[in-house]
Amino acid sequence: MTEPSRRFFEDIEVGEEYESPGRTVTEADIVIFAGLSGDYNVLHTDAEFMKSSIFGERIAHGLLGLAIQAGLFTRAAQPYATLAFLGLRWKFRGPIKIGDTIRVHAKVSAKKETDKRDRGVVTVERRVLNQRGEVVQEGETDLLVERRAGA
Amino acid sequence: MAEPARFYFEDVVLHGVLETPAMTVTEAHVALYAGLSHDLPVEPGAVPEILPLCLTVGLGWRVPQPPLAVLAFMGFEWHALAPVRVGDTIHSRSRTAMKRAMREGGVVIEERQVINQRGEVVHEGKFTFLVAKRPAA
Repeated sequence: MTEPSRRFFEDIEVGEEYESPGRTVTEADIVIFAGLSGDYNVLHTDAEFMKSSIFGERIAHGLLGLAIQAGLFTRAAQPYATLAFLGLRWKFRGPIKIGDTIRVHAKVSAKKETDKRDRGVVTVERRVLNQRGEVVQEGETDLLVERRAGA
Repeated sequence: MAEPARFYFEDVVLHGVLETPAMTVTEAHVALYAGLSHDLPVEPGAVPEILPLCLTVGLGWRVPQPPLAVLAFMGFEWHALAPVRVGDTIHSRSRTAMKRAMREGGVVIEERQVINQRGEVVHEGKFTFLVAKRPAA
């Protein structure tokens, strides 16, 4: 199998959009994430306590949704020649519940030159949608992307 | 059975600083994270940038006070200043930057840093939480 070719700063255009496959978030995902992160907050782990909460049941960790969308994004877009992930701004709009199927819709919103001539910053807007088309998370990520050698 | 203690909006101290214990980031963390999310490390020894963010939230509960009565994690901004590598030992430091009472609960903004074994701030950002008020006795 050949590696999909990586896309450089020059290849990426503002306005490009990507749609990922869906992924069903399971109870197992939440249990594994609690074990991995050490975040055992009752919101995610106590089914009885959550019956009387505004959500009515356990919900996925917000950062589990963020991690899953990061993985979905890699299945939606041809890989960038990313040098580094610089940061993100993120809002949790609604709960992800056990059995929900989420997908990511992403759009390149900006490209910025940097002081260094061999790289640039690509900003990608992302919306995480559930099976009803409701936005459950959204935000922007900044990626440092390589330019073509000799550019 | 008595209700377990919780740390409510009224208990949050503006500008209060909390320091967490540290944790060594291992290949096992990266493998579990990559298997769960399909957000894969870019090269051997690399740590996907979202993983330290996830670990700092877990470390944030391991402080000498009852757990914060979080109603919802509303959002955050985050900056990766330097890479975290497998074998690094990270801890986090947080400071309450703002608290504002709402009708239902209150909003708390917390500044948080992830610090490695050399004392370098590798990631930092701000978290916004909706926190429950103390229930009327």
